[in-house]
Amino acid sequence: MLHVEGLSVRYGPVRALDDVSFEARPGKITTVLGANGAGKTTLLRTLSGLVRNHRGTASFDGQRITGRAPESIARLGVSHVPEGRGVIAELTVDENLRLGTFVRVRRGERRAVVDEIYERFPQLRDKRHRSASTLSGGERQMLVIGRALACRPRLLLLDEPSLGLSPIVTAQLMATLRELTTGDGLGAVLVEQNARSALSVADWAIVLNLGRVVVADRPARFAADADLRRHYLGF
Amino acid sequence: MALFVDILLSGVAQGMVFAAIALGLGLVSRATGIVNFAQGAMGMFTTFIAFSLLSRGVGYWPAFVAALAAGAVLGAAVERTLIRPLQGKPALNPVIVTIGLLVVLEGVAGSIWGNVARGFPAAFSQRGLVIGRTRVAFSHFDVFLVCAVVVLVVAIVALFRWTALGLRMRAAAFSPEVSRLLGVRVGRLFTLAWALACAAGSLAGLLVAPLSSFSPYYMDLYLVYGFTAAVLGGLLSPVGALVGGLVTGIAIALVGGYVGPDLQPIAALAMLLLVLMVRPQGLFGTAGVRRV
Repeated sequence: MLHVEGLSVRYGPVRALDDVSFEARPGKITTVLGANGAGKTTLLRTLSGLVRNHRGTASFDGQRITGRAPESIARLGVSHVPEGRGVIAELTVDENLRLGTFVRVRRGERRAVVDEIYERFPQLRDKRHRSASTLSGGERQMLVIGRALACRPRLLLLDEPSLGLSPIVTAQLMATLRELTTGDGLGAVLVEQNARSALSVADWAIVLNLGRVVVADRPARFAADADLRRHYLGF
Repeated sequence: MALFVDILLSGVAQGMVFAAIALGLGLVSRATGIVNFAQGAMGMFTTFIAFSLLSRGVGYWPAFVAALAAGAVLGAAVERTLIRPLQGKPALNPVIVTIGLLVVLEGVAGSIWGNVARGFPAAFSQRGLVIGRTRVAFSHFDVFLVCAVVVLVVAIVALFRWTALGLRMRAAAFSPEVSRLLGVRVGRLFTLAWALACAAGSLAGLLVAPLSSFSPYYMDLYLVYGFTAAVLGGLLSPVGALVGGLVTGIAIALVGGYVGPDLQPIAALAMLLLVLMVRPQGLFGTAGVRRV
């Protein structure tokens, strides 16, 4: 599904990503872990076209996506949920969700897709006509994830979805994510600071350090290897 | 009393023109975050296109529609060729470009059509209507002018509020990056915003031309008034532009009627200063969301 090979990104003289290679598969969650500044957000921004890479390639279903504009990558079915302030605060909850459906959902089915999102996140339905700026942190996170799902994506790129959420809400979120990614359906790349909860749902984990992939393994390996955890994840 | 009513009525008619200019300024400011100083000059240029057509025997309405279409094309072309390449540069750069465009358009218009003042025909009679037994300072043409601008404002409000295209345009203006991640072709929508804004500017140009001495510079003063209206209305909402236009128009008419027409531009600048000092977000804006 997603194939990343030798991806390098520079910000001036700084190497933000250095020769990063990995894959994301349908129905699987690949988590990207690492400390602040390790390059996790840069990786997602490069995959969705917001940042230009300087070497290497990323392809989605055999089509090269590096070098494409963000809107054209989104149209292929790659939905990037940016960190933090991804809601459009000036629009209502309903408008935010409808905005997700414009590209990959046929005109007649858009309402039904938005209603599906309300089924999944009933709190959003109660506030559908309110400005998105009135939502709590947890509700905002539901809204941006709901909006990404309204795009009918094939691959989700999630940047720190647990940021600012309570442990209970984080657990619910991870359970939802797991439920969405099954079989040969939706795949996900999950960037997380909260390694523990990300590893609890992921199928594959890579650890970035100073822009390089230093570990790529099954989550079980992290559970088994305390040194590895302490060294790279700090717990 | 009759004088007061006449002043008020002429203020309303003028104010509607200011509103059309303010609406165009607001559309551009909202989409691409800059003030288009060429807004008036672009309207001037397309009105001269209508003037050329009229002098070749084309009917008023075909020429009117052609000028609006030319405005849309000119707006789109300016956005694509002059404004888009400056994306990501300091906001002052495109603003300076629009000032340059203003000078170029006026120069080119002068060399094609000459720097002389002429008359421009009105669609309807410009003689005041007779109400009861008195003739008021409001003509059939003024009625048309008010209706045209109200239709424009209602159409823009409807576009933004009730259509998928309008929702995308708002999203692109508020949050271009998130919109692009959702597959919205933000660049095209900015082009469209410029096209709409300059079509609105063309409308203003066509409506003002019969009321003033028609030369390559006739829109300069209207841009100042339109800018005052836009700032007063908060630059963000079409309804704000309408109210800002009316308030500015009536204020200018009162100054012209009771103090003297020479003081009108100064009064407009004083109003502009006052608004910027007392309520910089305008009557309809919210503090903190303005980026001019």
